Amino acid sequence: MDINVLAFLVPAGIISCFLPLSDASSFMVLYLVTAVYFSGVMVRLMLVLAPAACILSGIALSSAFDVLTRSMKFQLSKLFDDGPAISGNGSPNGSSASTVNTSSSKNEKTEKSEAAPKEKQSKKNRRKDKEVTESVSVKPKKEKRLSVLPLEASIVSTLLLIALGGFYVVHCVWAAAEAYSAPSIVLTSRSREGLHVFDDFREAYAWLSHNTDVDDKVASWWDYGYQTTAMANRTVIVDNNTWNNTHIATVGTAMSSPEKAAWEIFDSLDVKYVLVVFGGLVGYPSDDINKFLWMVRIGGGEFPHIKEPDYLRDGQYRVDAQATPTMLNCLMYKLCYYRFVETDGKGFDRVRGYEIGKKHFKLTHFEEVFTTHHWMVRIYKLKPQKNRIRGKLKKLKSSSKTSSTLAAGRKKNPWQ
Amino acid sequence: MAEREHRSSTVVLLTHGSKSNQAKPKEDKRSDLISVSPSSALLTSPAMAPSVRATVLLLLLLAASSSSQAAQAAEDGIRVLSAEKRIDLTGPIVKVFLTLKVQNTATGADASHVLIAFTPAEADHLAIVKATRAEGKRKKKTYIPLPVSPADPATAAPNGARLYSISLPTPLKPTDTTTVEVFYVLTHSLEPFPAEITQSESQLVYYRDSAVLLSPYHVQEQGTYVKTPSSRVESFTRVDPTSRSGPDVKYGAYGNQLPYAYSPIILHYENNHAFAVVEELVRKVEISHWGNVQVTEHYKLKHGGAKHKGVFSRLEYQARQSISGASSFKNLLARLPPRVHSVYYRDEIGNISSSHLRSDSYKSELEIEPRYPLFGGWHCTFTIGYGMPLQDFLFESADGRRFANLTFGCPLLNTVVDNLTIKVVLPEGSKSPQAVVPFETEQHLETSYSYLDVVGRTTVVIKKKNVVGEHNVPFQVYYEFSPIFMLAEPLMLVTAVLLFFAACIVYLHTDLSIAKSQASS
Repeated sequence: MDINVLAFLVPAGIISCFLPLSDASSFMVLYLVTAVYFSGVMVRLMLVLAPAACILSGIALSSAFDVLTRSMKFQLSKLFDDGPAISGNGSPNGSSASTVNTSSSKNEKTEKSEAAPKEKQSKKNRRKDKEVTESVSVKPKKEKRLSVLPLEASIVSTLLLIALGGFYVVHCVWAAAEAYSAPSIVLTSRSREGLHVFDDFREAYAWLSHNTDVDDKVASWWDYGYQTTAMANRTVIVDNNTWNNTHIATVGTAMSSPEKAAWEIFDSLDVKYVLVVFGGLVGYPSDDINKFLWMVRIGGGEFPHIKEPDYLRDGQYRVDAQATPTMLNCLMYKLCYYRFVETDGKGFDRVRGYEIGKKHFKLTHFEEVFTTHHWMVRIYKLKPQKNRIRGKLKKLKSSSKTSSTLAAGRKKNPWQ
Repeated sequence: MAEREHRSSTVVLLTHGSKSNQAKPKEDKRSDLISVSPSSALLTSPAMAPSVRATVLLLLLLAASSSSQAAQAAEDGIRVLSAEKRIDLTGPIVKVFLTLKVQNTATGADASHVLIAFTPAEADHLAIVKATRAEGKRKKKTYIPLPVSPADPATAAPNGARLYSISLPTPLKPTDTTTVEVFYVLTHSLEPFPAEITQSESQLVYYRDSAVLLSPYHVQEQGTYVKTPSSRVESFTRVDPTSRSGPDVKYGAYGNQLPYAYSPIILHYENNHAFAVVEELVRKVEISHWGNVQVTEHYKLKHGGAKHKGVFSRLEYQARQSISGASSFKNLLARLPPRVHSVYYRDEIGNISSSHLRSDSYKSELEIEPRYPLFGGWHCTFTIGYGMPLQDFLFESADGRRFANLTFGCPLLNTVVDNLTIKVVLPEGSKSPQAVVPFETEQHLETSYSYLDVVGRTTVVIKKKNVVGEHNVPFQVYYEFSPIFMLAEPLMLVTAVLLFFAACIVYLHTDLSIAKSQASS
């Protein structure tokens, strides 16, 4: 997200707006200043800055072209007619007087000719020659001088400004193709063999849609709620439109708690599958471990037993050997890094850039049912509660699934 | 009682066989040739429960009474001199090659048919039966296909066995012999056992058949050869003489079997071949006289083998590929005609980018990878579409009708289609469509509506169940079409644009104001 060449043209446009200052131009200046302030606070708000920057750069370019074309017309007419000046009033020696400013300047309502050095626009200054402003008012009584540039200079400047516009168009087309047209659900990367496609999200949603029961509920962070509902066609616990902060905090608490507590929370919500997004194998930075601080903060905002300092080491969230025990035992860590060490032997997380802290561990309350091709989406199932032999038998939820899995677990005599 | 003892030797033991098989297959290794022993021995065998004995008694009575009639209704006098049955169990579909050398021993009567018998279970899963006969000798041997059709239901067979009759081109004279080769395919006949396996286990299946050929005739000499994909055969029923070497099991030469003799066997072996089952396939072929045939296929695919239970670990699947997910498959090959263009492969949520297309001059091969590897019991759905040039497929027949020569069946190799529907959408203005398919199908007509359609396009809908690769033969759809109808669409568009422009002209030239303008007064 950048405004490229407009960064130079916008200040010039501001100056053009002041010459003269009308209602419309003062509105533009105010709009731009406010937009710049907010973009500085949050970079996504550059979207608001974009129209203001475009308008002001347009004003600046328009003024520049005005001067240049007027100069060319004047010079050419002088060249062909060799008579008195037709437009405005040029200096006694037509092509020598010129007012060229290479830095932002004020309006020039001067009577005397500026003895500014005739500066040829050289190619190496082509990005700085736009700061040409002058007053345009031609009052019949007062002898106003309009700036006129030498012919060669104005032709070269016009051509350079057109080239600048061309480069800007190329940049815009590239930005639209690469940054704005890339759907964030299919990621691509270029390698020697060509384009490598990471279609893990759709793989996981297609698996959920075909290989789970229609009534199964999936718990994940709210970012994936709409996607799961639309593509996997399964009920989710929280999605992008959930305004009930306590509900999101419940899911956040579950993700930040140890396995048993998380299992109990999910079981109370009748959840069957838990979905986490993990980018550590391929280097996908927007994964759930990077979003984990929000789960802790939102969860801690509602449930006092989740305290953010428990997860911080020196004020930072870490998952390496320096991480706090609470962090290394929480459900999100375990579900993301389950058997991750066996991929390369060391458990090097490509997004965080270090080896993970707890490498070898088993899951007691969850079992892995699906992981996508590049490990970006990992789906786990809640294990049913074990039957208690002594004491009261707890009522088992989702009893049909439980009984079948229990039956499969017992060694069945196939010949009966 | 007396009746039963007279006819006991000709009894078929289908029901008995299946019950005992489920009980203890491993201990069947030394079960006797039950069909040859008298029925009294059958009743006293230790594997029978009392209730089962009662049912078998009843069946024996019925079978005995019917077998006498069957023996008279069967081609009297045909004898099978030698029968060789080769069963190919290497894939998910069972292919059986049967070579019968028959002789007409009847006095006087010519034999025009040869009957072959199948058990009810086999007949339900039978996908295709083909028969050929070799003509000529040595180098000039040619194989003539023989028509096979289900036999007249009046010819009863014991225990519900179904008969198919092969029509011989020239009737077989008495004391003449001929060799008939039969090929048939059985689908869904391999039962995975154990029914659920984990990721690291291999898939083992049961195959149930008979050591001796089920035939309405006396068989003088026969042998059955079974070929399995790997040398891991967990168990197989021994019916002496039986021998096994590596992946091949031979049920050795048996002599002098009576009609409808049956000796059940079970093979329990390892089969890790991809059990790809297409539960439903809807193929829509749209013929457009502007030069394109567009095919759209909607698949519902399933892994039909042992169901996957427990954990799916991507790590194990990627790291230890040889032992993990041995029975799963991750790609399928589709064979398409050459010169296809605009091939797409997508599902409900979007394009699937993992596919490769390789074309040469006589075929195109599309290798597709579903989004995730398919383990037992997993489903996926997808759509494949492609376009083909019209001149490869549309021809004119001798009587002036046009016909489209298309391929029946499913382009995916080595798959079974449970329900196949082919819709051939003919261009608007086609009349009297007729589909000619070399085997039995259900057909009816529909109307579909597409772009610029006024009356709708006639659609021929052809349905078939249990389709295998051997069904990929050409079939024709005939229809009449007068070329003037091709102008209908362009004229419609031209007229629409003309009317629009005319309306614009009229609108611009009319004056709809109520008050007269000052200039005119």
